[in-house]
Amino acid sequence: MRRPDERAYGPGPALDEVLARRKVVCCVGSGGVGKTTTAAALALRAAMAGKRALVLTIDPARRLANSLGLKALGNRETRIDESLFRSAGLRPRGEMYAMMLDLKLTWDELVQRQAPSPDRARQILENRLYQKLSTAMAGSLEYMAMEKVSELHSSGRFDVVVLDTPPTANALDFLRAPDRILDVVDNDAMRILLGPMLKASRIGLKFFALPTGLVLRTLAKFTGQDFLRDLAYFLIAFEGMYGGFKERAAQVKRLLSGPDAAFVLVTGPNPLTIEEALFFHRALQADGISTAAIVVNRVQRDPHRFSGPDSTPALREALQLAQIADGGDPPLSQRLSRTLAEQATLADLDRRQVEELSRTLAGVPLFVVPRLRRDVHDLGGLWQIDECLSAAEE
Amino acid sequence: MSREPAALLDRRLLVVTGKGGTGKSTVSAALALAASKRGKRVLVCEVTARERVSELFGRPESGTQIRELSRGVYSVHVRPPEAMREYALMTLRYETLYNLVFQNKVVRYFLNAAPSLAEIVMLGKVWWHAAREMERGRPRWDLVVLDAPATGHGLTLLTVPDVFLGIVSEGPLARDMRDMQALLKDPTRCRTCVVTLPEEMPANEAIEMHRALDSHGLPQGALFLNGVFAPRFSGQERTQVARGGPLLAAAADAADAHEARADLSVRYEQLLRKEIALPVVPIPYLFDRSFGVGSVEKVARAIEVAL
Repeated sequence: MRRPDERAYGPGPALDEVLARRKVVCCVGSGGVGKTTTAAALALRAAMAGKRALVLTIDPARRLANSLGLKALGNRETRIDESLFRSAGLRPRGEMYAMMLDLKLTWDELVQRQAPSPDRARQILENRLYQKLSTAMAGSLEYMAMEKVSELHSSGRFDVVVLDTPPTANALDFLRAPDRILDVVDNDAMRILLGPMLKASRIGLKFFALPTGLVLRTLAKFTGQDFLRDLAYFLIAFEGMYGGFKERAAQVKRLLSGPDAAFVLVTGPNPLTIEEALFFHRALQADGISTAAIVVNRVQRDPHRFSGPDSTPALREALQLAQIADGGDPPLSQRLSRTLAEQATLADLDRRQVEELSRTLAGVPLFVVPRLRRDVHDLGGLWQIDECLSAAEE
Repeated sequence: MSREPAALLDRRLLVVTGKGGTGKSTVSAALALAASKRGKRVLVCEVTARERVSELFGRPESGTQIRELSRGVYSVHVRPPEAMREYALMTLRYETLYNLVFQNKVVRYFLNAAPSLAEIVMLGKVWWHAAREMERGRPRWDLVVLDAPATGHGLTLLTVPDVFLGIVSEGPLARDMRDMQALLKDPTRCRTCVVTLPEEMPANEAIEMHRALDSHGLPQGALFLNGVFAPRFSGQERTQVARGGPLLAAAADAADAHEARADLSVRYEQLLRKEIALPVVPIPYLFDRSFGVGSVEKVARAIEVAL
């Protein structure tokens, strides 16, 4: 019988094959599963293979900066220094870049690009509602991440852009964010509702028409007059730009569901994150996007892949044979036995989870990255992960 | 006359946040259980996509109805659509007016499109239970525990009043938002607790979250360090066992794996104590095959000292 941990590496494809020819790779999954590290490892892998690869992270916690041993990342791309590769003993054939998304700046750039005139752009940038919408509103980050990826892709400066997606509460938030935000600027319903206000301001009245009708009056009761007025200003400023925004969003969607993009599902071996990964997978499917690969991080390895007994009496004997004192309180043999049992339990739980995942997602290449003995915070650590991504599980 | 500072569990609202996968729901459940053992009536509000706390107590999902999970511990799943309706009805008072306005097709579209509205109504409901809900002349709940979303979204949720009041300054919603803001920022009534793990990324994120909460003026309780491994073997023991030959190979590997995690536990506990001026409460790693009420009890015992 095969020991639980000795899963033979089967004829599964290497991740490089799965991702070859893809120009955009999105790492998706719930928070805390090592998405950022996986994204950085994928970019490193591409750079080692001779590509100009960029990893884009959006996380305000600056995690990528940590995993690349960088002190800080700006909104502009930073080339990972040659010396970092050298000190990790790596010789890349390509180039690796990293970038951290600046939410506000990305919004501003988008507005400047889409506005028909610099004046109009300024009007929007100065709008109070815009300033709040662009930085603080939920969904904004997700939308801008996609926008930035699309921009970087069409710039043609990189062979591959790897996106570390934001730690979204759930998959649907991520996939629907662009629609949700776009609805705010491209919303006929709101325009009908705010019609009287819009009209009043367009003909240059000094004051805003009071909201007319019961519906508008009631809404104002909730949100206040000021908000509705800001909203009206906001809509006026955006007038004529909806088309551009919509086309842009459609472009992003086409890119992400097309052959140039791949979604890599990142997960950990515990039931909660796997459940969320499956949820993600189904949400992608519903949007006509297939999962290119699954990466399961931090899988515990079974100590029983090595030889030796695990009961306290047998360990006591083994210690005696090796002339090691069975000292301490509790004695060494007992502590070793307990530790073996605990570690084997962890490995067994993880193994079951991985097996179930691979059964549920039969046909999707699955990669297992064992729990490493130390944190990954440099290129050397990332490369260790890359080596696990060489071959899919059987 | 000096008084002992009130215990953590003596607040009206405890918010539990932290990076995904750190065990927020387990800690929320443990806080509720510990409070119930002190005779309190506790409501756990879950706001993430899926309920966890009811499951931890081995009970069916509570859904949007408040249900008792164990003696004194209740839970409710706060979902935006239902919370929106409740809140609107509370403010508008008349169902017919609600239906007229909120069932209006155009308005529904507006409500779906307005970002952060979901966060506003969810927080509104939690605030209602914690600060407003009365029963026979006294607050219905002694304590409300908010099992908040992961760090980034958790912060979005907690700062929704700040953001909203930056845009809207009048109307009943603004008035309620000011009350919510006051509750969240009142250290005698509310504390936010961060849950983290002894690993680099979660620990760094906890430190950043701590600073962000601080800069938003949100008072904090304890920092819970979950999944801690205690050192078990001396360096000499490990070297000896590692050289002990094939009979001790598996044992040496297990001891190594254990000590690697114990090293991380020690290192990040030290880092967190240095960077964060709050009680750091270690919670031992649980080797439970499935998490149930027994696990929650173990965690509750581990954190008892800090409550």
